[in-house]
Amino acid sequence: MSRQPEESMKCEAISDDLIEFALGTLSGRSRSRVLDHLESCAHCDAELESLAGVVDTMLWLAPEAEPSLGFETRLIERHRASDTRRLTVRRRRASVLAVAAVLVAVLGIGVDVVLTTHGGATIPSTSVRPTSSRLTANGIVVGHVTISSGSPSWMIMDVDTGKLSGLVWCEVTLANGRVETVGKFTLSHGYGSWIAPIKSPGSLVRSARLVNTHGTVLAQATFAT
Amino acid sequence: MRTHGSYDDEASDEALLSGVAVGDDRAVLAFVRRYQRRLFGMALGIVGDPGMAEDVAQEAFIRILRHAAVYDARRGSVATWTLTITRNLAIDAVRVRRPIPTAPEDRTFLSLVSNDRSPDDAASMSESVTQARFALAALPNDQRRAIVLAVMYGRTASEVASLEAIPLGTAKSRIRLGLAKLREAAAITEAP
Repeated sequence: MSRQPEESMKCEAISDDLIEFALGTLSGRSRSRVLDHLESCAHCDAELESLAGVVDTMLWLAPEAEPSLGFETRLIERHRASDTRRLTVRRRRASVLAVAAVLVAVLGIGVDVVLTTHGGATIPSTSVRPTSSRLTANGIVVGHVTISSGSPSWMIMDVDTGKLSGLVWCEVTLANGRVETVGKFTLSHGYGSWIAPIKSPGSLVRSARLVNTHGTVLAQATFAT
Repeated sequence: MRTHGSYDDEASDEALLSGVAVGDDRAVLAFVRRYQRRLFGMALGIVGDPGMAEDVAQEAFIRILRHAAVYDARRGSVATWTLTITRNLAIDAVRVRRPIPTAPEDRTFLSLVSNDRSPDDAASMSESVTQARFALAALPNDQRRAIVLAVMYGRTASEVASLEAIPLGTAKSRIRLGLAKLREAAAITEAP
């Protein structure tokens, strides 16, 4: 399939970045630019797939090595402990979500549908349907965010980042671009669940994110307009 | 593929990962045994220190086991997924704990670019990987170094330029030419 000269020029302009993208070393605006281009360019998409295939094969060239005695045992024990902790957190999430259900009901907002969560609890929705979105970090789902649209609006967030602990800030970006801080929360062994009011109407929230004390974005979620 | 309640050696990676995703302990054990040497080897090659490499490999396994349910086969094989996670964690660990970039003279770098390989290693490598190894060895030295720094050590073209004391354009060119030759070699291997 032949490309228009203008399209070829665009492809040429990102060719170096496309290589770095395939290598996994591209970030920031350059990465966004490549992603934008890939959405409309089948040629570069195929080129990326081909380059990524070469890079993937290269990873196999790393020599194998025997870890120390006990590596397997330590790993299995750690995995089981992690699973147990996750179960505890799921139960805690269920409690948090049950509280959320009560809060919504106490606020006197009409209930018309029921939203089932993976925690097994149910949240009665408001007459204005709440919106939910997955919280992701580096393309991996690490939690869920639900925002009610009533007044006041509430945010319910549960997070499982795997390892991070300590204080995190939760922020939302509104339709007008303004960033509003919801509050600061604590992650323990990577986990956290919380409910907090949002100053602005929930219907205006376009995205939510978790930021550490250094300002680094740890995870984010976007909401359909 | 289960034999008397266990996973045999021929169970596919995808089958093991499916078992992991539903919390099957036998699948977890089989998966760990299948991949521990490869993941530890990858981590050791990048971080250089056995203790640190074990930390990286353990963390990689924990993440893989935890996210087994969201593995998407359309984005690559299980093996590639696990190796990529390990590589990225190892690179992060190096960047945090060792600010000076890894020198290309490191042991693993030499191992990768050398043709010396034990018979056991050679026997375990698939044809395409063996071909990739030959293709890498056949590259001009400067291109090979640039490729290994970028692929294995996650160095950007700018960092490769700095490490090799060459202009950025030259670093990009070496990576581009090297990848093109590797791709050409892979295409020849795949041709009927």
